[in-house]
Amino acid sequence: MALAKAIADYDTVQTWRSGLNEQWGEEPDMTARTSALERFCDTVGKDPDALIAECTRQVEAGKRIRIKARRQFSEQIAEFQAASGGSAREQLKLGNTIRSFFIHNGIFMQAGLS
Amino acid sequence: MDFKEVIGRRRSIRFFDPKRPVEREKIQTILETARLASCAVNAHWLRAIVVERDKMPPEKLNQLKTPVAALTLDLAPVHIYFFVDLGVVARVKGSRLKELVDVGALAPSHGWSHKFVDDFVYPQILEPMTRNLEGYVPAAFADAGGAAQNALLAAFDEGLGACLNTPNPILTKQILGVPDDWISMWVMLLGYPAESWEAGGQRPRPDFEELYFEGEYGKPFKRDSAVVEKLKAANMIQAPAPLPGRREEIKKLTEELGLPE
Repeated sequence: MALAKAIADYDTVQTWRSGLNEQWGEEPDMTARTSALERFCDTVGKDPDALIAECTRQVEAGKRIRIKARRQFSEQIAEFQAASGGSAREQLKLGNTIRSFFIHNGIFMQAGLS
Repeated sequence: MDFKEVIGRRRSIRFFDPKRPVEREKIQTILETARLASCAVNAHWLRAIVVERDKMPPEKLNQLKTPVAALTLDLAPVHIYFFVDLGVVARVKGSRLKELVDVGALAPSHGWSHKFVDDFVYPQILEPMTRNLEGYVPAAFADAGGAAQNALLAAFDEGLGACLNTPNPILTKQILGVPDDWISMWVMLLGYPAESWEAGGQRPRPDFEELYFEGEYGKPFKRDSAVVEKLKAANMIQAPAPLPGRREEIKKLTEELGLPE
């Protein structure tokens, strides 16, 4: 799936970048990160903003996380990393890169130990 | 370790060394401290089930994971599930209060006797209390919470790290097979910290005067800075988070344990 614009221009990617900057106190190198995210977007057929939008819903009391959607993406990340090739450590790093994108966009996600 | 320093060192540890086991002796010591906690009517509501992570079938361990505590359950080698036994008061029927009379902890000087327990305390206070769940359940939980706090502090006194979490109450009961009248309270995750014992420093707390009052509501209990200095010297009040280098510590742990950044 081709993205409609450069991946760095998506709001959620910018949120991710500023979250990493805030957490680690330095401007993150986004090249490898966005490349990984773009591959994941291609795998699941959704752009970055759509991934996050699917994980939340707006109710009268505010924003809520959609548990089913979060679980589904969590499983898709696990499948994505397992299918990616490379060493176990490289696969884990790839999966964690995608998890980091969700986390910095407010979608709680944990990797577990491998 | 000095009592005040134990209080000062306690903070929720979330990075455990997953491969370093906890000595059985230390687990027993932790449970022994819970048993000695102050307890209303000597009922003892707190129950605990110790689970060694590596001895639990993986499918059951996965079921016990909540979204927020999935990782810490993987990291901590020991999980102590705390329950509140709501049936205990009806079972012991004041007998443990009478034990206190027998051993001289409750004396006639303060109005206590076996007859007072048999004729008044159990039938007129305790038994009706257990039927008023709106009052009974919070009281039992508060009591059990105090005992669990003893256990939590003991963990730090033993050089371990710990963190309290709220497990899924229904699944916890099912998987651990507890009696119907036990209610799930907390799980204490236990292990040797993978992070430094400071874990980034003492956590932020609301202002003292915002929390405590003197004589009546609205009149703050005045905090004496000389006492604060004394408690700092005793290592109870410690350097606040974030300590320098905390960010680097988290980064290092994240990389070592293979976690998201």
